[in-house]
Amino acid sequence: MRSLTEEETRTLFTKLASYTGRSLNALITPAEDGTQNVFRLQGSRVYYVNKEIANLSVSFPRDVLLSVGTQIGKFTKTGKFRINLTALDLLAQHARYKVWIKANGVMPLLYGGSVLKAHVARFSEDCPENAGVVIYDSNDVPLGFGVTARSSAQIAKLDPTSIAVHRQADSGEYLREEDTLFTT
Amino acid sequence: MAPSKGPNVGGAKGLAKGGAKGGKSSLSSASRVSKSKDAPKRPPAKEQKTKPRTVQENLKKKKKRVYTEKELDLPELNQITPVGVIKPKGKKKGKTFVDDAEGMMTILAMVNAEKEGQIESKMMKARQLEEIREAKRAEAEARMKERKNKFDDVKDSIRQKKKGKGDKAAEATSIKDSISKPGRSKKKTVAFA
Repeated sequence: MRSLTEEETRTLFTKLASYTGRSLNALITPAEDGTQNVFRLQGSRVYYVNKEIANLSVSFPRDVLLSVGTQIGKFTKTGKFRINLTALDLLAQHARYKVWIKANGVMPLLYGGSVLKAHVARFSEDCPENAGVVIYDSNDVPLGFGVTARSSAQIAKLDPTSIAVHRQADSGEYLREEDTLFTT
Repeated sequence: MAPSKGPNVGGAKGLAKGGAKGGKSSLSSASRVSKSKDAPKRPPAKEQKTKPRTVQENLKKKKKRVYTEKELDLPELNQITPVGVIKPKGKKKGKTFVDDAEGMMTILAMVNAEKEGQIESKMMKARQLEEIREAKRAEAEARMKERKNKFDDVKDSIRQKKKGKGDKAAEATSIKDSISKPGRSKKKTVAFA
């Protein structure tokens, strides 16, 4: 387990910044009670951990350590970063653009489908095309995240069956991808 | 020089004696002596045998010498030096970690600024496109309206013409004309007696 290099940090932040706004700073700055969370790399996976726990975790051999803190995602072999579903909690707190879906759209999303225009209840204003959005249900519970297929202005004019948001991850993955979600 | 000297001396002596044989012998002896005295001792000559090319030792390929690039002394432009291979001197080896909050903050600020610029430009572009689309729509609408007006005008003018004439007979004939088309009148009919 090690801290990230400059290049890795930039890649990670670029990815996170596509979903979150300026409040991403809050992830790095230490809290009022002095606790600080840091990003750590274990294998190809990136974890967001309390610094104290991260320091303690060095006492474990690398091949034995399965997971520590919150898994954010992993670096692919080509050096890109892929956000994991487990980062949803973090993204939901600092989301830049949000989509609320109706009850009829929840199940299709949790089974791995995209969000259709007919499912959209509300949409953040001034949202451009291909921007990262966090998907909530009508009770403000985050269900997943995705990428907008059209800008918010265009979505209003779409027909009900056309795709509004392409799914990237959804809570249904906890069951569907149970075997591979935490494997290194 | 001894052999060349010998004959001259011997020759003078031989002439003086008057014997051709003696002269000859003296000459040979002089040369022999001088040879035996001056020449170093050599081992007896051996016949050197060269092995033919077909012998296996000769058939084996000799290892060619491999020259290093330095030995070749090539001009620099002629060499292939991949970009990643050359490492700048005096730089730290290995990865440079970002562990301090300040470094993270600077990277985050850079990334955020970049991202926001991208979003802004995207929104600008979207707005411009929307404006263009709106203008096109308005233009198309105006054109449709104009066409409709024109059509209405034409309809009105025809109606007025008809009213102006006020001729029912003419109207009837016109209706008849419209009904009795040339195609229909020529329709073949079969009648049985």
